[in-house]
Formats: sequence, structure tokens, C-alpha cells
Amino acid sequence: MTRREIHVEEELTALLDGALEPARRAEVEAHLAGCAGCRAGRDSLAAALATIGTLPPPAPPLPGFEQRFYARLAREAPRRRSLLERLGARPLRWLVPATGLAAALAVGIWVRQDRQRADLEMARHLDLLENYVEVASLDLVETPEDLDVVVHLDEIREGHP
Amino acid sequence: MAPDPDAALMVAFQGGDEAAFRALFEKHGRATMAFCQRFVKDAARAEELTQDVFLKLHTGADRYQPSARFTTFLYRIATNHCLNEVRRGEYRARPEIDPDSEDGSPLDPDALAGPAATPEEEARGNALSRDVEAMLSRLPESQRAAFVLARFEGLPYEEIALVLGTTVPSVKSLVHRATVSAARALESWSGEGAEA
Ligand SMILES: [Zn+2]
Repeated sequence: MTRREIHVEEELTALLDGALEPARRAEVEAHLAGCAGCRAGRDSLAAALATIGTLPPPAPPLPGFEQRFYARLAREAPRRRSLLERLGARPLRWLVPATGLAAALAVGIWVRQDRQRADLEMARHLDLLENYVEVASLDLVETPEDLDVVVHLDEIREGHP
Repeated sequence: MAPDPDAALMVAFQGGDEAAFRALFEKHGRATMAFCQRFVKDAARAEELTQDVFLKLHTGADRYQPSARFTTFLYRIATNHCLNEVRRGEYRARPEIDPDSEDGSPLDPDALAGPAATPEEEARGNALSRDVEAMLSRLPESQRAAFVLARFEGLPYEEIALVLGTTVPSVKSLVHRATVSAARALESWSGEGAEA
């Protein structure tokens, strides 16, 4: 199997998802016209997508879904907010883990569009938020030392995407 | 300024409008629960995860930037939360699988297909759901997340990349590898529709 053929094979799902650039799409389709192996691969993926399309939707929630959430929100939101305010008194910049900053900078090199940049910036903050809320739920954050734990949670975790 | 109605609601909520937050929950809460059900089987647990996600959204609303798509923000919180839950589940001692779940009867009666389905269609739907759940549970977590976002949520690769904090080529590869695994795992189902 040629290197080029491997590349075609890896792009068959993107082809089915309509996610290839027009020029690449034309190349892949031209290859498929002359390659039974890749056509079989494409058909097998298409069959899987068709099967998945017949999956019944997940069970809907039980009645009272909204009310149950609003009741929990009323119980828990004030405490979460107050913790976040205490943490937020420190400059956010200080709280951003160095690894997160480096990753954001590296990503920034190839990101061009403002919208994408805003999304990434937001995502970076969100990782911190995840940490706040996780720790908040354990009632652990009381002192500045505890904040260090929050900051380094990303390093403690394994397999974070 | 705000690019979509959801972003406008988030901005209103950032300004203190709790009704705007409720409007977001009423619009996206059920869909978020359906998303969580791709990661946890138990409906009650999926509802709890959905509540967690919206609590995080409520607490972290200030972090939202209106130039970003609201659903990207929501999917990001939900994906991280569900993957954490899956990870926690792996460390937990797992109870033996309920033998009743292996003979074709569903663990959760609510998991049945819609009211219009015949018993045969329900049985087929339940069996397929179990095969898909088993397939998903064997995927590496980044593949699983990319697959769920692409296949069940219908997100374009660009948005999946933003949700997962990765690149479009990486998403293309994750979705492809997961779809290849799905094709292998679900091979016996293909063509079955034509025979019926
Ligand atoms: Zn080929």
C-alpha cells in the first residue's frame, strides 16, 4: 500500500462527512474510482453511519426535569458563587497554569480568526473553572495554600484531553 | 454584538437576568442530557451530570465571551464533565453486570424506543443501543468525545476542534479511527435493515 493510498484511507470518514476541501475531495474520489479496496472501506464506513442513524434517541428525562434543576440551583449556586468570588479576588493571570499559557500561545500561532481565538481563550479559562468547581464541591478551598492545589489540578489529573 | 440568540441570553445572564439563564436551560437542558447519556447509561446519573454542567455554566458565566458560540462553551463543559465521570467510573469497583440486561430486556424501561415502535422495533433498538454503548465504552476517551460530537450532535469538525481544544486534522483522525472501530463493532447490523 502506497503512502498516498494510506492517506486516502484515512480521509474516507471525512469524505462521507463532507469535510474535505473540494480539491482534496476530487482527488480522493478519483482514487476511489480506480481502487476497489478503498471503495470497500468507504462502503463499510457508510454502512456503520447508516446503522448509527437508526439508533433510537436516548430516553427523555422524567417529568419535573426543569423543576428538579431549579431546586438544586437554588440550593447550590450561592455557595459556588461565593467561593468563586474569593478565588477571583486574585488576578486570573496568576491562576492560569504555565502549561495552559504555553499551550494557548502555541495554538495562537495557527489560529487566525478572532472568533476562534475567543473560543480558545474561553476554553482556557474554562479549564480553570472546572478546577474551581471540582474543588469547591469538596469544600477544600479555604486558604491561599489551597489555591495552589487548584492551580496544579491539571497536572495531577491524567489523560486530560 | 452578540452573534446568536443564545449568546444574547448569556450576556443578559451575565448582567444578572436569571430568567435568561432559565431560558438557556429550557432550550438546551434536554439535549445536554441526551449528550450525557452517550457517556453514562443510567438516566438518573445523566440528569445529575446535566445539572452539574448547568451549575458550572451558572457559576462560570463570567468566563463566557460573547464572541464565542454558546454551544461551543456548553459542549466544552459537558464533554469535560462526562469524560471525568467516565474516568471516575473506571476507578470504581464495577458491580457484576445485571444478568437481566443480557437477555434482551432493558435495564431501564424508559430506554425503550418511542410509543409508535412495535415490540420488534423496540427489541432491535435496545439491542443496537447496547452494541453502540459497548463500542463507545471501548474507545479511547478523545475518540469517544469526537465521535459523539460528530455522529450524535452533528457538529462540524471545526467546532469539535474548539470543544476539545485541538486541531481540525486531529479531529479528522479521531473521528475516523472511532468510525472504523464502529464499523467493525456494528458489522453484523449492516444490511439488516434491507432484509426486514
Ligand atoms: Zn485505495
